[in-house]
Amino acid sequence: MNKKYRSVGRSIRKKGGVEKVKGDPVFAGDIELDNPLVLKVKRSAYAHALIRNINTEEALKIDGVKGVFTSKDIPGVNLLGIINRDQPLLAEERVRSLADGIALVAAETEEAAQLGIDAIHVEYEKLPAVFNPVEALKDGAPKIHAKGNVLFTRAVLKGNADDGFEKAYSIIEKEYTTSAIEHNYMEPDAGAGFVDEDGCLVIYASTQNPHYDHKELVSLFALEDENVRIIQAATGGGFGSKLDLNVQGFIGLALLHLKVPVRYVYSREEAYLATAKRHPFTIKIKTATDRDGRLIATRVRAVCNTGAYGSYGIAVASRSAVHGTGPYSVENVDIEVKCVYTNQTYCGAMRGFGAPQMALAHESQMDLHAEVLGIDPLAIRLLNGLEVGSLSGTGQLLTSSVGFKDCLHAIAPYYEEAKKSWVSTCSTPFKRRGVGLGAMWYGIGNTGVQNPSTARVTMEPDGTVTVFTGCAELGQGSTTVLCQIVAEILGISPDEISMVVGDTRYTTNAGATSASRQTYISGNAVKDAAESLANVLLTEAVNRLQVPKNTLVLENGEVTTTGNPDCGIGIAVLAGRIHDKGGVLSWQGYFDPETVPLDPKTGAGVPYATYAFACQMAMVEVDTLTGEVTVEKVVAAHDVGRAIHPENVVGQICGGVAMGVGFALMEKFEQGKTESMKDYHIPTASDVPEVVAIIVESEEPTGPFGAKGVGEPALIPTAPAVINGISSALNYRIYDLPASLERVLEASIQAGHFGVQEE
Amino acid sequence: MNQNTVQIEFTINGKKVTTNIPSHVTALHVIREIMGLKGSKEGCGIGECGACTIQVDDKAVNSCLMLGAQLHNRDVMTIEGLSKEKKLHPLQEKFIENHAVQCGFCTPGLLMSTHAFLKENENPDRQEITRAIAGNLCRCTGYQQIITSIEAALQDESCRGGE
Ligand code: FES
Ligand code: FES
Repeated sequence: MNKKYRSVGRSIRKKGGVEKVKGDPVFAGDIELDNPLVLKVKRSAYAHALIRNINTEEALKIDGVKGVFTSKDIPGVNLLGIINRDQPLLAEERVRSLADGIALVAAETEEAAQLGIDAIHVEYEKLPAVFNPVEALKDGAPKIHAKGNVLFTRAVLKGNADDGFEKAYSIIEKEYTTSAIEHNYMEPDAGAGFVDEDGCLVIYASTQNPHYDHKELVSLFALEDENVRIIQAATGGGFGSKLDLNVQGFIGLALLHLKVPVRYVYSREEAYLATAKRHPFTIKIKTATDRDGRLIATRVRAVCNTGAYGSYGIAVASRSAVHGTGPYSVENVDIEVKCVYTNQTYCGAMRGFGAPQMALAHESQMDLHAEVLGIDPLAIRLLNGLEVGSLSGTGQLLTSSVGFKDCLHAIAPYYEEAKKSWVSTCSTPFKRRGVGLGAMWYGIGNTGVQNPSTARVTMEPDGTVTVFTGCAELGQGSTTVLCQIVAEILGISPDEISMVVGDTRYTTNAGATSASRQTYISGNAVKDAAESLANVLLTEAVNRLQVPKNTLVLENGEVTTTGNPDCGIGIAVLAGRIHDKGGVLSWQGYFDPETVPLDPKTGAGVPYATYAFACQMAMVEVDTLTGEVTVEKVVAAHDVGRAIHPENVVGQICGGVAMGVGFALMEKFEQGKTESMKDYHIPTASDVPEVVAIIVESEEPTGPFGAKGVGEPALIPTAPAVINGISSALNYRIYDLPASLERVLEASIQAGHFGVQEE
Repeated sequence: MNQNTVQIEFTINGKKVTTNIPSHVTALHVIREIMGLKGSKEGCGIGECGACTIQVDDKAVNSCLMLGAQLHNRDVMTIEGLSKEKKLHPLQEKFIENHAVQCGFCTPGLLMSTHAFLKENENPDRQEITRAIAGNLCRCTGYQQIITSIEAALQDESCRGGE
């Protein structure tokens, strides 16, 4: 922070902000096409069945229906999945959940499409279905996939847990559960497309990963790369569920056969029915401390329900296992997470990949241990917290940028103050107050696998700069942040840079906008490209200014010598000269974080190159008569390495806290019951706490200007902080999410608070 | 026109229009598909999210719950009517300055609700502001920077009283 930056670290106006406040961005459902056909999918009537026959004849006769397609019309590989391929675009001989598509109808109007859907006759042979993953693991359970019902198991083993428990002073063993959660981005999934004059399928999509979409479409339809072009439309949030191919495959299939413009905009109901959810977890956890409260062993057996398909399930199991220790140093670790198929709607990525679920368990355990030992919850976290030199559960030595204790210290004054003066000033006898802490660590990027990003930075001979990145902007601000990084390197204003984002014809693969990876990984990729460009500019300037290269800097659109700002030369002049000499003004950048794959048996390895850390404190008030919980305030301290755009970081924290409050108190997706937004409540402005966001900057040496990430970390500590707050208010703990009115009221009754307090 | 269409006459963003619409469609459909104004969004279609908020005779309404035919003789404003020519409305400026926008899908509806609210409320406190926008769901921001923007707008004379 001692170096002065011009773009980095400043909360500049976001790219595209003016358009957004005018309602101008073109979301996929807003795209104007020439008389597009509308699409609709016939989905399964049963959670598990064999398909005996699909009759589409009647449907094809309906006025306005232009095409009906089934799996037989898919010329390539009818299987989707970014990690494991197990999900057909349209079902072949079997349906595994109510979300499964069986046939696609293209029609002139919504009404005709619906009539078409209704006229498709499917003969099923119903099969027994299983919805509970524990049941699905039993012998004789209905088999959902040929390979069995276990999608994946991740173990993380270190030391000897039994020895640890043997030596322990205090052992606590509990079970926690979490619910399926709907992402509920405000823009339901949508896409639109046409076939261009070269026969290329051009598809605009609401997506988190246009280059993955491209790859899947090429494979589904056995096309060449150049015959598919995915353009990311303005995307109204994603939170993980727009990593899957939601409408893109259907649009491609219709385009392939009909060659006329089409569009598919999910109703909210269809988005609920057909898109991924957050994995519900059942977590059995046993943790032990010594007499001082030092954690000496943890054993976790967790099962997560991935529903009918894998989607990101393997990543969820893997990450949750790695994060099962919490941000603490634990000598003996024995963690196993199983990801299991059932006949629920499939579960996939959602903001945190299993870490939010695991955090409920490890953070509740920390408070339970503190209580048993009579130490303060903050003190026990400080005692055990990771620091430089700690070894993680996978045996990774943490060498730098471990700002966890800085986060705890940042929270401390608020925490002491809240305990001292806020808890006791509760105004009514029917309410009780509590303060709770939640902490987390979060590995940036994908778990123990390569996940590179690439980018291109180009300068025209007149000096104008364009950045080409496949990094999907979902509203979180990556386009602005990447632009700031390039501006900083090239010494120009971010306003002078054009950003070309998420168009597979022009951009190269940046990987998914997920795993809080884009600032760190794509940030490094654009930095790499910009540095190459800066290098040729500086080399050219040596020639002109006749001074050594190491005295030159890029600043205010010029190359100048340090200490002599009068002697400078504009980058446009330099660019022109480089161009005239046949030099290169367009540079490709690349970055892949250094990881070591996890051992399949022990989980040993280096799953991530760097970690974000955080601690949040929730101040909650519980109405002991109604079970209503008000989260008054959340103080959130996050180590982000460096905030490239501090207000973006604050925005992520506030948004994450809000989503975390929903996860903690109100959200639960129930298949068959949750059909529309009437049945599923996300926090409104009245439900969210005031958030005090504290940015901790423990610089990451491999990060762009020291940056790591914050998107998912923002949400992870909130639910445990709220649950710990409720528990301290009621002296009674809730182990299952959401802590709904009923559960809190029950807790209040059990704890003997139901009724007027004596004092 | 057949019996399933009705003719409506209304003012939209200051312009008088007369048009025939199918009688069963929503006001949101009229605005998006017939008027071609795509700034108003559909997030749920059942009055739960506020993404479709427009102003009808200066009141914020969920246009997905209103019939298109009910627009007859009304004065309608959508997000497209908030900025004049190239100039942003000061409320829009505040949203940008205070980073109240992430994905932008909820933003048009929020601006419509807020704009209508500020016309009627000279000096609301934070709680009143919160209540005023509680019908507009945002999954990205957690609302804090939105509320800050509205508070900032209150300090600015030009944000009140409509234009
Ligand atoms: S679309 Fe009208 S309230 Fe949601
Ligand atoms: S900014 Fe994305 S829903 Fe509000």
